[in-house]
Amino acid sequence: MFAHIVWLVLRKDFTIEVRSLEIAYTTLFFAISCVLVFAFALVQEGRAPEGGAAGILWIAIAFSGTLALGRTFERERQAETLRALLLAPAARPAVYVGKLLGIVVLLLAAELVLVPLVALLFQAALFAHPIWLALILLTGTIGFAAVGTLFAAMLVRARSRDVLLPVLLYPITVPVIIAGVRATGALVAPEFDAGVLRVWLALLVCFDVVFLTLALWTFEPLMTD
Amino acid sequence: MKLLKSMVVVTVLLAGSAARHPSYDASVHAQQPPPQQQDEFVPIDQLPPQDQLPAAPMLVGAYSFVAIALFAYLVSLARRLTAVQHELERLEGDVKRGGA
Amino acid sequence: MPKSFIPAALVCGLMFAMAPILIANAPYESTMGLVQKIFYVHLPSAWMFLLGAIIGGIASVRYLFRGDPRQDRLAWAAAELVVLFGAITLVTGPLWARKAWGVWWQWDVRLTASLMGWMVAVAYMLLRKFGGPGSDKLAAGLALFGMANVPFVYISVNYWRTIHPTTNVVPTLPTSFGVPLWFSAATFLLLFMLLLRMRIRLEEQRARVDALYLSMDA
Repeated sequence: MFAHIVWLVLRKDFTIEVRSLEIAYTTLFFAISCVLVFAFALVQEGRAPEGGAAGILWIAIAFSGTLALGRTFERERQAETLRALLLAPAARPAVYVGKLLGIVVLLLAAELVLVPLVALLFQAALFAHPIWLALILLTGTIGFAAVGTLFAAMLVRARSRDVLLPVLLYPITVPVIIAGVRATGALVAPEFDAGVLRVWLALLVCFDVVFLTLALWTFEPLMTD
Repeated sequence: MKLLKSMVVVTVLLAGSAARHPSYDASVHAQQPPPQQQDEFVPIDQLPPQDQLPAAPMLVGAYSFVAIALFAYLVSLARRLTAVQHELERLEGDVKRGGA
Repeated sequence: MPKSFIPAALVCGLMFAMAPILIANAPYESTMGLVQKIFYVHLPSAWMFLLGAIIGGIASVRYLFRGDPRQDRLAWAAAELVVLFGAITLVTGPLWARKAWGVWWQWDVRLTASLMGWMVAVAYMLLRKFGGPGSDKLAAGLALFGMANVPFVYISVNYWRTIHPTTNVVPTLPTSFGVPLWFSAATFLLLFMLLLRMRIRLEEQRARVDALYLSMDA
């Protein structure tokens, strides 16, 4: 039942998005321009700053993620579909997980473009260990999106919601971003150290579990009027 | 929910034990080698006499900041309280006169 | 305000007057000398910072699941005190560190997590001020995440490499250091409770004003 609701919410979002691909295109373009701005600012005479790739990748993910979150829930707000979702006889946590997975898929799609772009512009061997990279990106994205989906859903009815989302989101997701950057940094370091990578990956998983638990626990009371 | 909570505990413990991996933290770039992490305080007269560090500006600055911050907060709180008190009295007066 | 408020405030004032005497009479620490005396305000502030985050978190949980507005006022007051005492901790710490470690700041786990916890409290205040309707519940959710940060800040210094002193320092303090510290901590705790009570009263008065406005419009 839970999984069915998650699937229904996911399919609904996917169906709506596929019609216009508005959020997908705008998020993607924003992510690319973000990385380009960093490249213009930091790459001097064709040489990228040492070890800058990891940080820039995760900053781009964080910024695009915030934008995607805002746009997704703005769409819900305009059509008043969020209220309809909450009125439906569906377990609230299932609705949350459905929306979360939608955001994660969107962000992963953006990362598919971001990672090669950053690897190219900042001369970083991001694809040296693709499985590790996939794990880092997956856990980091889930952690970021877990908190983001919760706050973005809550802010739907608030004033100044556009600026409040980053204000609320970034302090909380700092551990995820730091762990993501350090893990990616360990990945592209000249001497690859799997032990260090494992530590940061373990931390990422730990943050994911904590954030998901807190979000699932509080989604229901937070969404009631 | 119980399962998720126990997962949290387990992963926190795992991450804690995994984090005892040595030497991956970026080190401090100070001029001199960074001091050792302290485990306990030792009174100064239990060691050979050393120069007094010229630390007065830091000390004075720290204590001044504490005093100013606490005082500023008290003033802000008092101001807000009196403002609300006045508004409350004004409103209660209006209600009495208006008989609403 | 409870009857004990004024006497408590007087006691607190007296303790604040006495504290510098105790601190000045404490011995100098061997490696850090005079600047170590910042310890006697830095540590109690840090404790109040963490205490405020815990109180705010617990009150927020109770507000979310029971809806009692008194818990919401308590959470808001606690968050404001987290900003205050967090700021004091984050300023006195670097002032001490500049002399003791040679650097103002280090991006180790404890300092980063403390800064992050402080920013969450600032975000809480911004949300309450500018969020409009419904921001009370959302702020409660935020405070919960902020509370999750507290144990992390506390134990981080024992498990990750850092030059910040470990939590072993306080239990092994010689009495000559311990007396001023615990006195200072008691002073700060009393002040914390007094400020909390005053701040809650502010919210109670605001709620009464709102209720009056609503009754007039009816």
